Amino acid sequence: MLLLNDVHTTGISLLAPELILVATSLLVLAMDLIWKERNSSRLGWISIAGLGLAAFVLLLAFQKEPDHAFGIVRVDRFGNFFKLFTCAALAVVMFFVMQDRRERKHRIGEYYFLLLGAGVGIFFMVGTNNLLLLVLGLELLSLASYALAGFHKGEKRSAEAAMKYIVFGGLSAGVMVYGISLLYGLTGTLDLAVMASATGEDLPRSLATAITQSPGAVAVAMVLILGGFSYKISVAPFHFWAPDVYEGAPTPVTTFLAVASKAAGFGALLRFIAVLFMNPDAAEAVQDYGLQMGSLIALLAAVTMTIGNLAALRQESVKRMLAYSSVAHAGYILVGVTAMNTEGFEAAMFYLVAYYLMNLGAFGFLLYFAGETGEETYESLNGMGRKSPVIGVSMVVFLVSLTGLPPMVGFLGKWKLIQAIQGVNDGQYLWLAMCLVLNSVVSLYYYVRVAKHLFLKEPGERSLKPAPALTGLLVVLAVLNLFFMLYANPIVEWTNASFDLVSSAE
Amino acid sequence: MGIEAYLFVSVALFALGIICIVSRRNILYVLMGIEMILNASSINFAAFNRFNGGGIDGQMFVIFIIILAAAEAAVALAIVLNVFHLFHSVKPSEADLLRE
Repeated sequence: MLLLNDVHTTGISLLAPELILVATSLLVLAMDLIWKERNSSRLGWISIAGLGLAAFVLLLAFQKEPDHAFGIVRVDRFGNFFKLFTCAALAVVMFFVMQDRRERKHRIGEYYFLLLGAGVGIFFMVGTNNLLLLVLGLELLSLASYALAGFHKGEKRSAEAAMKYIVFGGLSAGVMVYGISLLYGLTGTLDLAVMASATGEDLPRSLATAITQSPGAVAVAMVLILGGFSYKISVAPFHFWAPDVYEGAPTPVTTFLAVASKAAGFGALLRFIAVLFMNPDAAEAVQDYGLQMGSLIALLAAVTMTIGNLAALRQESVKRMLAYSSVAHAGYILVGVTAMNTEGFEAAMFYLVAYYLMNLGAFGFLLYFAGETGEETYESLNGMGRKSPVIGVSMVVFLVSLTGLPPMVGFLGKWKLIQAIQGVNDGQYLWLAMCLVLNSVVSLYYYVRVAKHLFLKEPGERSLKPAPALTGLLVVLAVLNLFFMLYANPIVEWTNASFDLVSSAE
Repeated sequence: MGIEAYLFVSVALFALGIICIVSRRNILYVLMGIEMILNASSINFAAFNRFNGGGIDGQMFVIFIIILAAAEAAVALAIVLNVFHLFHSVKPSEADLLRE
């Protein structure tokens, strides 16, 4: 009994952030039953308070040495980074839920419950080297997302979005699990760190041994697993679900999928690649293999950003345009992964922070105008910037940032990606850097189109109701977009300190 | 019986699942295809666990896959039921409001 206590209390104290989220989600569900429909926004504040508490615990734990809980949950700074990111993103999403004028007020507690449940899934997904726990976290996130995408039960578009999402999601989860089963068969272990460091011919075998013995099987397993990740981060050719689901789902859910869910996918992917392939004392076979995977990922990155941008050009719905833009941004972030070195991964993490700042702003803007006009087309925005200058100007800031022009943080994000990629293998990936720049030029067209409709078209008759809280949040995000361009050091230091996978992999 | 027999069944099941998903027009068959893929990986895990020897990692994974499949089926059927109420059809091709 004493022994049990010792083991479990340290393990449980390491899991404090996860437990706080679980407790908050249950509290929200219970309070929803007690309060009925009377206090729907109070539930949102409870959830945000829970997220704040979890974030506070995470901040306190940031300086601690990496540790294990129950053998499979890894508590390190890398996981900490993505957990904090998730808390920040979820808090804004919940704020959006409260501000959404088109949201039903009935049974709104389930909304927060599902969002928090998805958050727990993300926490486990980004915080483990164990493939079983990775799959379970991913599925918890996915199942909650399916339900969230179809949250407006009576709405045809929402129902259709949920159906398309679960078909694609189920397929890619199955494919990924199959890939993991092959990897398990080849190495005899589910732990990535063991796969990277095992020695000898006996089981568990290292990935290096598996690669020399049966390269074909390892390649199949890797492609299947990458396919599963590609779906989660909406990378071509697994991006088909993204535009439809993003358009049909309620706007706060779209925001969640585009920011938190995508970042979680990237977190798990970065950890998977870094632990397996980037260990400095890994065998040569593994490092070579990693470089080959780098060229595959470079191809995916180029195709993804090009498809996303070209498709975004043709859209008439702003929401669908933002969906394709988020596909394109997944391609940009993959550029950092291509580099297969610490600098590249840190650049990808920096870009995720920039992506958070600009994309949350853009979706907040959409939430406001779609709630006011009931439409999401470019035409419905005509002249709205003149009627509501503060929100309009904030949106222009987000658009400039999304395009990647100075003086916004999006520019710095792209700059870092290009910097990380240009030196790799004597400029092997210069073409990818060029591709990124050209794609940014293409994206300028459809981003500027929003600004044109906002300010240069004649306004219609419709009057806008002010939304002070949402406006305040958008202004804060816009100011941060500018501020972190001029003074990026805190974020740079944070991302650099957070990437502790390579040095800490024993 | 060697491990090849198990792998053969699992690959066949995986391929049938993919074919089922790609070729069928009815959403329920698509969901069945997904189940087949998950079960193919279950066979893999159980077989590898047996032939690699030692540990219970693979068997644990099988149990969790069964749970995952059940949870996914529950959510999927709820969504499909909702779609059926709204569109009076369970064919993805007839629910086509979201497109270019």
